[in-house]
Amino acid sequence: MTSTHADDDLQTVTLTVNGSERTVAVPPHRTLLDGLRDEVGLPGTKSCCAEGECGACTVLLDGRAVNACLVLCVEVEGRDVTTVEGLSRNGLTDLQEEFLNAGAVQCGFCIPGQVVSAEYLLRTNPSPSEEQIREGMSGNLCRCAGYQRIVRAVQATAVRRGGGHD
Amino acid sequence: MTEAPERTIEPLDLPADPGPSGQVGRPVLRYGGGDRTSGAQKFLADLSFPGALQVALVTIPVGCADVLGVDTTAARAIPGVVDVLTAADFPSRVPRFGVSHQDRPVLAEGRVNYHGEPVAAVVAETLDAAQAAARAVRVEYRELPGVYSLDAALAPGAHLVQDPSIRPGDPAAATNVLEDALYTWGDLADEEARTSVVVADVYTFPMVTHFPIEPGGTVVVPTDQGGLDIYSPVQHPYLLQRTIASVAGLPLNRVRVFAPDPGGGFGGKQNPKIEPLLAFLALRTRRTCRLVLSLEETFQSMRRAGCRITARTGFTQDGEITFHQVDADFQIGAYADVAPRVMAKGSYVAAGPYRVPAVRIAARAVLTNTTPSTAFRGFGSPQVAWATESQLDAGARLLGLDGLEVRRRNLVAKGEAFVRGESEATADGEWWQSLEKAAELIGWGEPLGPNRGRGIAVGIKPGATSGLSQSLVRLLCDGSAIVYAGTSDMGQGARTLWQQIVADELGTPLDEVSVVSGDTGTVPFDLQTSASRSTVFMGSAVLEACRDVRQRVLALYAESTGVPADQLSERPGALVTPDGELSLPEAARQALGSLRGEFIGQGTRRLRGKGNHPLGGDAAFYEFNATAIEVEVDRETGELLLTKHVTVSDVGTELNPLQVVSQDEGAAIMGLGHSQMEQLLLDEHGRIRNLGALDYRIPTFKDVPLELITGAIENHDGPGPYGSKGISEGALLCTAGALGAAVAQATGVAIPDLPLTPERVWAAMEAAGTDRPD
Amino acid sequence: MPKYYRPTSRADALTALAGAGTGARPFVGGTDLLVGLRHHTVEPELIVDLKGVADLPEPIVVTDDGVQIGPTLTMGELAAHPLVQRWYPALVEAALTVGSVAIRNRASLVGNSCNGSPAADTAPPLLVHDARVTIASQDGERTAPLVEFFLAPRRTLCGPGELVIRIDLPRPAEGSGSAFRRLTRRRGVDLATVSVAAVVDSDGRVVLGLGAVGPRPIRTELPGPVDLTDEPALIRLLDEQLEVATPISDVRASREYRVATLRVLAKRAVLAAADRRTSREMAS
Repeated sequence: MTSTHADDDLQTVTLTVNGSERTVAVPPHRTLLDGLRDEVGLPGTKSCCAEGECGACTVLLDGRAVNACLVLCVEVEGRDVTTVEGLSRNGLTDLQEEFLNAGAVQCGFCIPGQVVSAEYLLRTNPSPSEEQIREGMSGNLCRCAGYQRIVRAVQATAVRRGGGHD
Repeated sequence: MTEAPERTIEPLDLPADPGPSGQVGRPVLRYGGGDRTSGAQKFLADLSFPGALQVALVTIPVGCADVLGVDTTAARAIPGVVDVLTAADFPSRVPRFGVSHQDRPVLAEGRVNYHGEPVAAVVAETLDAAQAAARAVRVEYRELPGVYSLDAALAPGAHLVQDPSIRPGDPAAATNVLEDALYTWGDLADEEARTSVVVADVYTFPMVTHFPIEPGGTVVVPTDQGGLDIYSPVQHPYLLQRTIASVAGLPLNRVRVFAPDPGGGFGGKQNPKIEPLLAFLALRTRRTCRLVLSLEETFQSMRRAGCRITARTGFTQDGEITFHQVDADFQIGAYADVAPRVMAKGSYVAAGPYRVPAVRIAARAVLTNTTPSTAFRGFGSPQVAWATESQLDAGARLLGLDGLEVRRRNLVAKGEAFVRGESEATADGEWWQSLEKAAELIGWGEPLGPNRGRGIAVGIKPGATSGLSQSLVRLLCDGSAIVYAGTSDMGQGARTLWQQIVADELGTPLDEVSVVSGDTGTVPFDLQTSASRSTVFMGSAVLEACRDVRQRVLALYAESTGVPADQLSERPGALVTPDGELSLPEAARQALGSLRGEFIGQGTRRLRGKGNHPLGGDAAFYEFNATAIEVEVDRETGELLLTKHVTVSDVGTELNPLQVVSQDEGAAIMGLGHSQMEQLLLDEHGRIRNLGALDYRIPTFKDVPLELITGAIENHDGPGPYGSKGISEGALLCTAGALGAAVAQATGVAIPDLPLTPERVWAAMEAAGTDRPD
Repeated sequence: MPKYYRPTSRADALTALAGAGTGARPFVGGTDLLVGLRHHTVEPELIVDLKGVADLPEPIVVTDDGVQIGPTLTMGELAAHPLVQRWYPALVEAALTVGSVAIRNRASLVGNSCNGSPAADTAPPLLVHDARVTIASQDGERTAPLVEFFLAPRRTLCGPGELVIRIDLPRPAEGSGSAFRRLTRRRGVDLATVSVAAVVDSDGRVVLGLGAVGPRPIRTELPGPVDLTDEPALIRLLDEQLEVATPISDVRASREYRVATLRVLAKRAVLAAADRRTSREMAS
């Protein structure tokens, strides 16, 4: 007999999301993706493949890019999560502006994940070559295929941040 | 890595009169783009419906079966489960719906006709409960010898996908051919008599799925008035409204469709699919019912028709096409959706944009026990273009011509017919310019490195053959404006164009123009967002609404100020008075006076079809594209490295060059998907073997060609505002042909089957014995 | 529905694993486990998260004899480690093909090995480097060569109540080189159709690791030292030795294609490994 969770199956998890401490009660199998969207109330992180193939749910976990669909809520106790909403708390970032300037945003559904991945890429490699951008972003699918536009956006942001690549 | 020479994006020269001079033609940034980058944009799954019931679908793991029984006992026992709907719960027969054929049941009725067709639906207080209950529903079924391929469906005595009872009066009801089309002109025998070389082959184009990154879903809210509010990220909200009203027996005014922007549509979100089921669930439970699809469920609800094309083409010694014969079988799936039209419209242009004296095109829409196919960017054209373009190259190779030259010799000039006979179609652009520009950009004729090849191809697609778009524009008393336009903004950036048009036509600053869409309760009718029609149809309606506003400003200004109307005139952004020009917002303010208020302009663009035309009417415009690709082949593994990819479209006028580039690049890469890697693979039970993102491969960042260059030809010769045409599909129409020709040159072997996976390229070289270096 | 347990000591972790038996799943990166949970292909009663265990072996320890890799070292950390880059370039190349950046930030080398996939990218290079696995249980520890660890698809020596706590990689012989090659259906993130790792030592002895061409990753050696300047001879030797591979046809490729490209990749990996023998630096 399959069962669904009763309240005593819920575990309380306290984590920091975009700088604020949040406490949620979730069943153990709940992914961080669903937790962020449904429990924390931050739907900017998107769900597509739900198995780590598309990158739409990319967030920063303790500063490192991860697929939120492959993280359990219960394991992020005490840890720090940054979502796309957290990147743009003070208005659009230079990176987000460059996404717009480059024409990288079409339907927009993959874009939050793209932005988080690109931000992580630039933090870990401030002067990426085009090849490094393609490699670093290759876990983020865009069916509108704005790939070349996104590469341009990342390059322009690198230049704005003083990185740039010859 | 080489830096791609990028296309310059700069303001264009527009005709002096009449003409805007401000925002149209500029690379204006995307309307709503900020929200799309910050995560603030609300897609369907992001909308909050407190207290909503969650829905899960029950399916069985075969493509064709009789359903013998559905036991919901265990499912109903799960805490939180509210209802389980099966076909037996409908009072008589399960209602059916569809665009042209009312053949698709709301739930499988006694028989499952494709892998993933819902047999039952569970409604529960939580998603966990709904999904657990869906797994607990026991379906007893007997697998049937379903037909999963064209050969199986067309074999004598084949299992019939659709029971003849749902095809009353159809003489073909005892076969799996749902519809056919025949286009003929000229005298094939005469032309064959003067033919020097004939090429013939059988080409295949795979079943591919749209794979929108937003899987989609539907929420239905029963209203206090007995109506339904439907939330669905659809391209055609007004069609969905009509469909729900029809199956639920409600007047249109009680069915309100809210259409959040689709997170990718590409044709897959045009027509109703699960929405009627959700409507019934909401009516039964009197609660809000919500279903957000998984990506796998999305794969099982939309795809492009696969196609097999037998082609025979004759050429003179000079490379002029003498005749072209095509038999095209489209594998459309279990229900019609809009696939018969894909078949008819695609095959209509199966002779390509060429001067062909004799043609016979016979096409069939063939039912199989597979996902119902639907509209998908290109709408049948990519399938037929794959065959026709490959035939041109095959002929050229025999004649010692190159791919550019053979196309130069056959491409029609502007005004010349490429479809002849009763339903003639003529070139509506200087298409040769796109071909020449693509050749120039790829460096046609430059020496090639080892294991490299270059191909060039062209493609056409008929735009909409009928249409109706209605728009309202409100010019408010402070000079700002609101546009009501029912176009779904699924990535093409339609709202940006309306903003640009209104800014220029009314003189309103760009950031003071807002656009309302996605609500049938407040926004006037728009037939569809499809066939790259919106720029031409809705764009014209918005333009007309703006001009209507200007007339009204003029009239009220005359009334308010006493200046005779015949001494006033208006032009984009301004009212011309005897004392000089006033900006339109200023004129409006003065005309409205102390009571304020606003001006409401209305615009309509209607294209009536022709009853006797096989497509229901002449296309409003044609999308034309030339693509050239250079490829390097790994002769030992068959892997392809695309070193350069050029695409040039005939766009009329670029209303927003940045958005044109985005559309062209996106379509080009999507074209590489079906050309290189995408295909739905079925097992012997009709199940999709590569169901999901892990084994259905689409292009990634690293699959983009090393250089990707887009170009546009602008002759301001389109029927849309300022001479524009639709542009969103061109760059994928002939990707396959260009790639195929490039691979053929690099390997010495032409491959008639898509996608050109490494294994397929390797196998072709093996079979041809060309893999061993001398 | 599984329960989640985050022990802080190795003893607690082993007690929990022993208690739940086949119903328990050790958990580090979760990149395979969560996919299994989603599809209900695995339905564990207990998920034992090892990331809070204080007394497990360090993620990576370098000794004069080689490196010791603990259960929590991620693919990303592995590939970024300077000494790993110098000593085990094939392993770095393989680790960098595992999923995307975000996957590599989570997936662990040990977890990837324990998953037992015949197509695991890091298995061939670990095999050619003669990796050894240390398995702990409440009864103590045992070690085994990795080549004996892989039993069948999704089955390894690590049984119920057990935990792989370390993978030891001996330091490569002076003057040897290694390389990894693989074939995929697209250029971006993909599962391997075929993969090959090779180590070539200074005398021309060749060890090969083969992925996705049998029910488990395969280790094989070419007989005797090989004259690497004689490519036809190398190809002949490979043709004979690669008979150990028994690929199948599946959704990714046919058996025939795997057989053919295995030879191509093996030749390329051997030649690339041989080229690296002088510098020992990973080609960039």
